[in-house]
Amino acid sequence: MSPTNGGTSKRRLSLGFDRFSGLYIWALFIVVFSIWQPHLFPTGATVHSVASEQAISGILALALVIPLAAGTFDLSVGASINLATVIVTWLQSSHHWGMWPAIVVTLVVSAVIGGLNAVIVVVLHVDSFIATLGTASIIAAIQTIVANNNQPLPPTSTAWSNLTQRDVAGFQIVFVYLLVIAIVLWWVLAHTPVGRYLYAVGGNPEAARLSGVRVGSWVATSLVASSLLAGVGGIFFASLLGPSLTYGQGLLLPAFAAAFLGSTQLLPGRFNVWGTLIALYVLATGVKGLQFVTGVQWLNDMFNGVALVAAVSFAVWRQRAAVSVRRTAHSAGAAPHEPSPGTEDPAAVGLTEEGE
Amino acid sequence: MVSDALVVSGLTKSFGATRALDGLNLRVVAGEVRALLGENGSGKSTFIKTLSGFHEPDPGGTVTVEGEVLAFGNPEASRRLGLRFVHQDLALVDKLSITDNFFLGSHFPTTLGTISPRRARDEVKRALESVGLDADPRTTVGELAAAERTGVAIARAVHGLRSAHARVLVLDEPTATLPDEDVNRLLDTVRAVSARGIAVLYVTHRLDEVFRVADSATVLRDGREVLTTPVADLTLEDLIRHLGGDQQVRPGAATAAARIPGAPVLQVDALVTGRLRGVSLTASAGEVVGIAGLTGSGRDEFCAAVFGASERAAGQVRIGGKVIRSLRPTEAIAHGTGYVPANRRRDASMPYLSARENVSISRIGEFWKFPAIRRAAEKMSVSGWFQRLNVRPPDGVEREFRTFSGGNQQKLVFARWLRREPRLILADDPTQGVDIGTRALLHRQLVEAAERGTAVVIASADAEELAAVSSRVLVVRNGRFVTELRGDEISVSEVSRHLVNPKETQEGPTP
Repeated sequence: MSPTNGGTSKRRLSLGFDRFSGLYIWALFIVVFSIWQPHLFPTGATVHSVASEQAISGILALALVIPLAAGTFDLSVGASINLATVIVTWLQSSHHWGMWPAIVVTLVVSAVIGGLNAVIVVVLHVDSFIATLGTASIIAAIQTIVANNNQPLPPTSTAWSNLTQRDVAGFQIVFVYLLVIAIVLWWVLAHTPVGRYLYAVGGNPEAARLSGVRVGSWVATSLVASSLLAGVGGIFFASLLGPSLTYGQGLLLPAFAAAFLGSTQLLPGRFNVWGTLIALYVLATGVKGLQFVTGVQWLNDMFNGVALVAAVSFAVWRQRAAVSVRRTAHSAGAAPHEPSPGTEDPAAVGLTEEGE
Repeated sequence: MVSDALVVSGLTKSFGATRALDGLNLRVVAGEVRALLGENGSGKSTFIKTLSGFHEPDPGGTVTVEGEVLAFGNPEASRRLGLRFVHQDLALVDKLSITDNFFLGSHFPTTLGTISPRRARDEVKRALESVGLDADPRTTVGELAAAERTGVAIARAVHGLRSAHARVLVLDEPTATLPDEDVNRLLDTVRAVSARGIAVLYVTHRLDEVFRVADSATVLRDGREVLTTPVADLTLEDLIRHLGGDQQVRPGAATAAARIPGAPVLQVDALVTGRLRGVSLTASAGEVVGIAGLTGSGRDEFCAAVFGASERAAGQVRIGGKVIRSLRPTEAIAHGTGYVPANRRRDASMPYLSARENVSISRIGEFWKFPAIRRAAEKMSVSGWFQRLNVRPPDGVEREFRTFSGGNQQKLVFARWLRREPRLILADDPTQGVDIGTRALLHRQLVEAAERGTAVVIASADAEELAAVSSRVLVVRNGRFVTELRGDEISVSEVSRHLVNPKETQEGPTP
């Protein structure tokens, strides 16, 4: 499979070993583990538990996809999801708020955090990677102040536990929430002008600006959206599993792994919703299968770390392969009508714009 | 008896059906400064790239350096024979010292494997002095004046540490980006190099420099040498005549002459930005206003500042009567402006998005009807533009932008704006680096847009281009509009003549 063609004509003909590789690997995992652990692995229970366990991670990964589409990092979502969990339970259990007011305030706080990120990135022009690394630490500090380093007690209302502790066709309802969020986000990114603007900004902010796209507004919007979605994930987590002071940071890396691996799937080179979910569940299936085989603790970390590095390496390799093939074509005289190659050096494009 | 430093005979280089070099002959002796002139596309850069080993020429031609035959297509062979190049991009690292820049890519002098800073410094000092530069090698390159930076690049190119002696130095438009006051210092450096017996091939567009520094001049046209003469026998008028060739008639279909301009669309009042020092212009519906100027004159800053791509220090811009604030491209666009930037890769391309997305981004709302962007309508519209502008490959609507050739990418940038039917088009060097066919097509688009009532402003380094499309031409010199040419006054030679200050060249032809 040639990784070089950017056109669709060849893509349609091929089996798509690059853009559908995740699905093939997924199938491989399922077959291998079904043979290996025929009694444990291929069961409805496995399907339900993998789907539900990954729902919160999935929401976080989707939160990341929004700013990443606009070429912007949000490393603060891990801290945001944590803070949301603590605030929403603390308001209910320590301050006896009702569920809905607590949720609304939590979402407002999340949006404010996103706004803070936006100000630092858009107005102060701090690189988003650094900016959100910094705010992540600030958010963690705020969380400690709010919680006073004590894990708040879980609220006791039934409405609160009913929010997530329900099943739909054997799946926990958070999985359904994940699907709803995914559909909405897919619609926004793939089928509305908003998605076009975000991808344009991610594609080249200067060109987007000079084409009339309000680059600053869209970057800001994407950061607010990612924080909000992290807040939503935090609320679900709190309802489902109770308050926790630390789990959020642990979700950050798997979420990035899924988003980056997802950008090699379906629409290679582009952060996209369904690719991200496929990546997430491929990784989760692999981890689950191995857990049946062996009980070691380090599997998850190892799997996600390897996946993140592999995904990014693959994306880089793909671009570089494309560049070197084009080069060869040039020197062989296949692209003759450019007497001044200095003006169009694909290598420079490939290497400098390789944001992934 | 002086020896031949560089002898080129029968050098030909084809790109497909086009001959960029067509049997070029050239002879330069040691210590000679030879000005190499020619319009864009005359074959200068192909020639230089052939010398440097970047291009491999068609079989048959030969190049010898002091009698030794050059093996083509091999940069290391070029270097070994003593060919040295300083390009417009000097390849210096601003944050490092002169010494570090000297030894990047070669070897630092070492003692027992340790870099010996003193030896390195002394060596660099000698190299700098040999080209007449008096600078401390420890200075950070970023702190140097522009001319000194070029000087450092030259000193690095000719100093003979790593390999054979430098015999021929090729300078590719070394003064293009220099402020006028720095040019003299650079010319001193060039003289110092030639005094060491190194032949210099000096490529320039600034005609006055020919008389100030060169011993002889060669003019290229269509890949051939059309004139080689000692500068002592040359006048500015001769030079311009040979550069422009016989094309006194304005080429292309663009007979913009008999058009009566309509209402004013663009009004620029006392614009100050970068090198531009208070320029005013009114462009009316239906006219094509050309802006001519040498590199460094401020020509290339006008369109960007008007559109809002770069900041304005002062002055007012009105489009369709509405004041457009600085750095607000969205306002300019909302009032009907389209902008074709000079640097396509940096300012106009989203390389990994499809051609479709690159074209439709300028107005996506047209295809949006709740609940989704109508992909089929969008595709059809972009396909229409593929046909209209003859974009290759014709079925490439979904291909990534970066997979198109430069000319086709430029067509897509044109399509992005033309589809909005703008009332003002600002185009900055819109055909640089595209082939002749595409160039004519893009020119036709601009002229046809004007005929439909668009005001077009085109800034270009290329007099031929301006002559082809403009209904009037404004000439920028030192940040001001100094001349306006209308109708029959517009010709390649007339535009070229005004680019250079006549006073600067009058004192020129001294041997």
